[in-house]
Amino acid sequence: MNTQTIPPLAPDAPVVLEMSNISKNFGAVTALVDVSIKLRQGEVLALVGDNGAGKSTLIKILSGFHQPDTGTIVSQGKEVRFASPRDARAQGIETVYQDLALIGDLSVFHNMFLGREYHKRFLGLNLLDNRKMREQAQLYLDTLGITIPSVNSTVDLLSGGQRQCIAVARSIYSSPKILVLDEPLAALGVRESAHVLGLIQNLRKQRQVSVILIVHNYNQIFEVCDRINFLHSGEVALDASTADTSEEELIRIVKSGLGTRAIEAAAAEVRPGLV
Amino acid sequence: MQPTKTARAGKSAVGVKVPHTMTERLLILLSRYREASIAVVAIVLVIYFQFGSDGGFLSPQFMSVVLRDTGRLGLVAAAEVMLMITGEIDLSLSAIFSIAPYVMALLSVTYGLPLAVGALIGVLIGILVGAINGIITVRFKVPSLITTVGMLFFLQGIVVSIYNSQPIVAPVEQPFNAIFGQSLYQPSDALLSWHGITAFTPFLWAVLVVLVLALVLNRTTFGLHTIATGSNIIGAREIGVRTDRMKIYNFMIAGGCAAFAGIINTAQFTSADPQAGSPFLTLQAIAAAVIGGTSLLGGSGTVIGALIGAFVVASLNNGLVMIGAQATVSDIYLGAAIIAAMILSIQVDRLRTRRRV
Ligand SMILES: Nc1ncnc2c1ncn2[C@@H]1O[C@H](COP(=O)(O)OP(=O)(O)O)[C@@H](O)[C@H]1O
Ligand SMILES: [Mg+2]
Repeated sequence: MNTQTIPPLAPDAPVVLEMSNISKNFGAVTALVDVSIKLRQGEVLALVGDNGAGKSTLIKILSGFHQPDTGTIVSQGKEVRFASPRDARAQGIETVYQDLALIGDLSVFHNMFLGREYHKRFLGLNLLDNRKMREQAQLYLDTLGITIPSVNSTVDLLSGGQRQCIAVARSIYSSPKILVLDEPLAALGVRESAHVLGLIQNLRKQRQVSVILIVHNYNQIFEVCDRINFLHSGEVALDASTADTSEEELIRIVKSGLGTRAIEAAAAEVRPGLV
Repeated sequence: MQPTKTARAGKSAVGVKVPHTMTERLLILLSRYREASIAVVAIVLVIYFQFGSDGGFLSPQFMSVVLRDTGRLGLVAAAEVMLMITGEIDLSLSAIFSIAPYVMALLSVTYGLPLAVGALIGVLIGILVGAINGIITVRFKVPSLITTVGMLFFLQGIVVSIYNSQPIVAPVEQPFNAIFGQSLYQPSDALLSWHGITAFTPFLWAVLVVLVLALVLNRTTFGLHTIATGSNIIGAREIGVRTDRMKIYNFMIAGGCAAFAGIINTAQFTSADPQAGSPFLTLQAIAAAVIGGTSLLGGSGTVIGALIGAFVVASLNNGLVMIGAQATVSDIYLGAAIIAAMILSIQVDRLRTRRRV
């Protein structure tokens, strides 16, 4: 289905994000040990690894939801410290969390603009501009080709796939510099997955937004990602470019570089039932 | 590749199921117009009492009594609704209701401080107590049920120990008393005169506060973030809502409202009783909130519903006595009403989630 060819990332594309030596413990649980990742302008980076490898924790540190025990984050050449998700969003880092972070009791359009509401002055009061948010949400969802019964309906009435689409749309809406997607395809059917992958592919073509994508399916990784980082037991065990590596090669590298348990897990992700 | 087309085709396969049975439709209707459904209950109740009392229920004198109770209870109920939406509860409101006017009266008789100034200090004390409740709850992760029960005993202990449990007779300072609760109404007065209006001031204040809170809840970022906090606290935090602050602010609003209600009560009776607010007041306010359509689960609620709920509770309390029932009988109805309202509210919520595809 990949009819368009995406030109490879320019070798001199600047590094927009560097997370170095990040460690994180939750009490006795070690989630991340000395993890370093690098993201270049316009690059789509796949973050893979078995369940509990620490992928979500790493991106929640990037989004400001968790604070790292050790390590630094350098964004656009400056060292940054995010005390809360507000800080990260203010720096142009948008995250679609694995749990989607949608508010079931609020309407679709309120969810779309949560944390960056439009206001209007009324009798000297700063009130929500619901009409503008409703129109903008509808317009934007239309542009992205996402159809839902109504932007007025509360999110708890939507299907899992529809919710996932809303969460993705919300993250792209504010034209972020860095977009982080934690398993954005989990609840999607084949066609919806293809649609979200198409949105990512469009971003990749323009090379304006840098993307970190957590997915499990290696076909999808090779379709939309420039590079792949394999996280294992809280460490980056492999960093490879998808252009220089074939799927088979990748599996071989993963096998040779890691213990048997991880190989089995990795292989099962690629070809379920084969190992 | 044509993402637009693919998605359209994909999306049309999923949609919201249309409710089928009559019961389902009725429940959906109830969930959409919660205030309207409780208003219908209130109207039915009024008609019942009006006939049962041979027309006495809707007389200005009796309505003044019912609406005064409604105002006092409605203020506390609306305060409780704000907190219930964030997923918290405050059981210390009755103690704030007692301590704020007590301080006001004390400052007046001891230092000659004008009541208006004392009232302001009283409200500030309520807001401060709310802030302490909120900070203990979010910072130390003590469930608010426990925090505020502790605060209830603590404040109640303080207020009775100040002056040996003695009520303080507060001076009358016009127009303060008339504006904030004292009734100057005589049967000979016209209803639309100044004296006529004073018959209903506690209710009018409650209406004003409720309208402001409704505006805040439905039309401001503060309200949106309050709902988000109670509906999905992790998700709200992930997207950048300051959930701890939202809770603390709503505790402060609740404390301020309860203090204001207590001051109105004292202005009405020109006396500050250290036991003016019994814990029963808070429980009745929660009852009013639940009957008005607010669930204890957080994420949704209506302050207007709470005011109508307070009217229902006040009507039951006064109306049943009027038509000749024992005073205690109203509690039987109240208890049944709370449980019925809660069952209905949960049924409605369950239906909503069942409709998820
Ligand atoms: N808030 C938390 N408290 C305690 N342990 C956590 C928390 N979040 C994640 N963990 C633990 O950290 C490890 C990594 O989890 P996670 O980052 O969710 O992995 P992944 O997303 O790769 O599946 C797991 O062992 C998980 O149980
Ligand atoms: Mg995860």
